Amino acid sequence: MTLVEKVCVLGAGSTKYGKLAESIADITTQASVSAIESAGIDPKDIKASYISNVFGVADKQVHLGPVLMSRLGIPDKPSLTIESACGSGSVSFREAYANVAAGFYDCLVVTGVEKVTHTGTEWTTTYFAYCSDFFYEGQAGASFPGLFASMARAYLTEFDATEEDFARVAVKNHENGILNPKAHIQKKITIDDVMNSPVVASPLKLYDCCPFSDGASSVILCSEKFAKENGGNYIEVIGSGRGGSPAALQGREHLTTIPSTKIASEAAYKMAGITTKDIDFAEVHDCFTIAEIIDTEDLGFFEKGKGVQAVREGRTRLNADISINPSGGLKSKGHPIGATGVGQVVEVFDQLTGNAGERTVKDAKIGLTHNFGATGASCAVHIFQSV
Amino acid sequence: MSVEEQLIEYAKQGKLLTHKCTDCGYLHLSTAYYCLKCGSKGFEDVLLEGTGVIATYTIITVAPAGFEKYTPYAFVVLQLDDTHLRISGFMAGIASPADLPVGTRAKITGFDDRGIIIEKQ
Repeated sequence: MTLVEKVCVLGAGSTKYGKLAESIADITTQASVSAIESAGIDPKDIKASYISNVFGVADKQVHLGPVLMSRLGIPDKPSLTIESACGSGSVSFREAYANVAAGFYDCLVVTGVEKVTHTGTEWTTTYFAYCSDFFYEGQAGASFPGLFASMARAYLTEFDATEEDFARVAVKNHENGILNPKAHIQKKITIDDVMNSPVVASPLKLYDCCPFSDGASSVILCSEKFAKENGGNYIEVIGSGRGGSPAALQGREHLTTIPSTKIASEAAYKMAGITTKDIDFAEVHDCFTIAEIIDTEDLGFFEKGKGVQAVREGRTRLNADISINPSGGLKSKGHPIGATGVGQVVEVFDQLTGNAGERTVKDAKIGLTHNFGATGASCAVHIFQSV
Repeated sequence: MSVEEQLIEYAKQGKLLTHKCTDCGYLHLSTAYYCLKCGSKGFEDVLLEGTGVIATYTIITVAPAGFEKYTPYAFVVLQLDDTHLRISGFMAGIASPADLPVGTRAKITGFDDRGIIIEKQ
């Protein structure tokens, strides 16, 4: 495969994640404007938009692209809305990336958004379950916490791990999230807090689960030529990989491995010409504590079954062996599902351009994003390098 | 009948309809249209007893709409006997992990508005 253009991230911005009062159209626009201002470009430089969103219907607005473009004063420009469950943001980013790399557009806005907290826990639990293989899973009463809890039970059965080990992931990500002013839950927690929180789907408890969040994130993606001519800070996309897994857990060879993560990351490492040792930090899909442990194994940072030991030894904390989720991750930063994959790129941009404040990963040059849909049925991994 | 409707009809009789590839012999759940191994579209029906052991499960206390009245209940993944296949389903009346150790024997017993019903054997 020959890419016509090198692709760069020229600007990035997010709303705060949490319970937001504004409409989905408002927060989509706010995040996009902050990315445009961060890039130092004019909206008229933007040739198209890629929007990621799952439940726009909950706030009475689907077909968000034209609404955003109209508000940006460029209603004549094309837009596309992409749904890939909780992985929508990274999948949308990948499609935008491919279009810049192929030379179709030299400058795009990629914006992810979700607005669901006003619907309440029952609505979100019910509708999120529609992202599963519904005939086999959602229809039989599986919630998303329930599906990851099934993976957690399998992990506890197969490996030397305890529920307290899962809790350590939550404690670590909350430590990082306290340092992130845009995080949904900025609160220090202890292992006991996690263990004593109400059971949602055994063995997962409330503090093992990320929150339902509102929020929007946006990045400006452009060709290297455009970035150089524009001036200002930018980072380069050096690897992009996608993969898939059987939609239902029952169809997977191993219940403690997400195949799409392995496929996507191996493709991204190959394209970037690097190994896991070259990566300074990673934003990974920790929708539940067990997910982060499985992710770090499937991404190749640790052997299968050893991710839990790495957490126990503090090797994934900020500025330890490899900083995992310096932003606080989905667990603490929050999980507006359509925005999450784009929000991870915002964090990498902030880290590699010196705008991550107290949660800065020291001397970081290369960062990775990993985001998947549902229980990892769809996945995208991207690798970025400072310039 | 669609493939889902067929699977449901047999599940109501406590059986599991599967598809065996006529080219390579690989066994699939009956919702498969092409062989995972060889890509062939030819299948023959094979009816399984729907028995096996619990491969993994969760006990759900915060339920999706329609399931509140059943809490706590288990969502289970059943490893079927004498095959690599697994199937997931709903299991009533499970309140604590002590009620359902991994490896417990179980069987498909029906299908209703809770999807495929699995019970301990």
